[in-house]
Amino acid sequence: MSTILETRKLSKYFGGLAAVNQVDLDIADLEILGLIGPNGAGKTTLFNLISGFFPSTSGKVTFCGRDITNLKAHNTAQLGISRTFQASTLFMKLSVIDNVFTGCHLGYRTSMWKRLLRMPSALEEENMLKHKAIELLDFMGLASLRGEIAGNLTHGQQRVLGVCVALATNPKLLLLDEPVTGMNPSETLTMVSLIRQIRDDMGVTIMLVEHDMKVVMNLCERIVVLSYGHKIAEGLPAEIKENKEVIEAYLGKEEAE
Amino acid sequence: MEKPKRTYRFKRIDTHNRTSIGIIVLVIILLLVPAVMHSPYYIHLLIMVGINAALAMTFIFLLRVGLINLSIASFWGIGAYASAMLTMRLNLSFWLALPAATIISGVVALIVGLLLCRNSGFGFIIPTLAFASVVVLILGTFDVFGGYVGIVNIPHPEPIAIPFLPVIEFTSKTPYYYLMLFLVAVVITAFYAFYSASTGRAWRAIGLSSSLAESLGVNLFKYRLTAFIISSSACGLMGSFYAHYYSALVPLTFAPFPKTIYCHIFAILGGIGFPFAGPAIGAFILTIAPELLRATGAIEPILTGLLVILLVLFAPTGILGLATSGWSSMHPSESIDRIGKWIKASLPTSRTDRENRK
Repeated sequence: MSTILETRKLSKYFGGLAAVNQVDLDIADLEILGLIGPNGAGKTTLFNLISGFFPSTSGKVTFCGRDITNLKAHNTAQLGISRTFQASTLFMKLSVIDNVFTGCHLGYRTSMWKRLLRMPSALEEENMLKHKAIELLDFMGLASLRGEIAGNLTHGQQRVLGVCVALATNPKLLLLDEPVTGMNPSETLTMVSLIRQIRDDMGVTIMLVEHDMKVVMNLCERIVVLSYGHKIAEGLPAEIKENKEVIEAYLGKEEAE
Repeated sequence: MEKPKRTYRFKRIDTHNRTSIGIIVLVIILLLVPAVMHSPYYIHLLIMVGINAALAMTFIFLLRVGLINLSIASFWGIGAYASAMLTMRLNLSFWLALPAATIISGVVALIVGLLLCRNSGFGFIIPTLAFASVVVLILGTFDVFGGYVGIVNIPHPEPIAIPFLPVIEFTSKTPYYYLMLFLVAVVITAFYAFYSASTGRAWRAIGLSSSLAESLGVNLFKYRLTAFIISSSACGLMGSFYAHYYSALVPLTFAPFPKTIYCHIFAILGGIGFPFAGPAIGAFILTIAPELLRATGAIEPILTGLLVILLVLFAPTGILGLATSGWSSMHPSESIDRIGKWIKASLPTSRTDRENRK
């Protein structure tokens, strides 16, 4: 399998604090990679570095063979990296379909001026993207809520919509920040099967941060563990479960007796 | 047995048609105003309403991309002075100076925007305020611009011959009124094109959640800069018109306080959710009201200020916001109740209150 994204010695310092420290990470094409670690381990910071929300202090990020270190978020989105946020970040005042439609922003091939002047080609494209947005909602099981205002959805539905909006950019790599946090068991199951479907049917590589270990162990094919900004372990779920360092990071070191 | 709820049914015209009919009626009324109203004073007020409304629209235009602009009056002034300079020093015709002044304002906005549009929030607001102060200083200090005394005798627009119409001469207020209507229509058309369809969606996205918009591939800087240039050009356009209409310019007219702040208030009063009707209604009320309140003399600004405070407390969505949603949801007694609570909360607690709490 080929690598879609790799980071080499990626670091981010906030003042004297190393939020992410010399992290080497490889994500293979079409895998579901879990990123875990105790609170404050630097998981979300790593997401922000990859997706371009923060500039890195040092190190290198390569995506599909292209150096994307320190590109801005909108550039990485153009290249095919999409992300969701930890808190439900949506356009709360807009309808569900408008949310997804906004996500299709990158799908435009016609120039802004053509769209301003309502050229036929622009209108045609608009229609096409609308269809795409509806298809996407159908795929995610939100088609019936199309006209609802996003702020009125339940927490679980909002999380699904968040993923849906991120998918509207046609990503190759999807970064999910705590996709099932705060969900009830049945919503969690739906989300887990959706994430699998996104990978299988749409061919999107997925990297996710999650605290729900059951979900991570069940869903992820490979797991990377961060602690205090360092990568402390990497491997299959079964290996990670047995890893002594990981257990220490989560539960603390056992005092020598 | 429960009585079935009585429902009233009207033959409904669908919203889209209703809006178009409303706009057509409004345009006809606006076009007929000078035929009915002969007082030049009221026509003058309406012209000022038009200018103010257009300036307030530029505020909402930038607000949509999450930027609050304190240099609206400055770009208005840049347009006005540019137009005055071009006609007086270079003897250009007004009809050339008008687009030229618009472009000059746009170019200045491009240069300023390249520096400022990377920021948002206070990082944008405060520098625009600084820029606004610099503009007033430059206009006031250099003799080319006439200093703080200003420029007088700016030429009126040359007579213009439009096919199928008699030659229009700018000798009375009426032709200015029609020119104002035309220019405001130009601004509205331009803004509407940007608001609607796909570009509008990206801009609205920035205003609603800039980080999400960014993650979806919206280039914040590019969109913010474009919005800044377009809105400032519109200010410049209205400025050029103002210069030749008023025929005299003083730098302090273009100071951020109070002009820019008033532009914000016009928009907020009318309702910032309504990019065109809101500013128009707000500007109409607050341009006419001070004239009516003129009898109150020096306390006029206090009354206007009070109006704004009441507005923010009880109708944060503006007059139109209240008219479209608020009436039904808020009973009058409820709003009186709110005023009472607010006054109570702002008063120092009385002794009995304090004792009771012990």
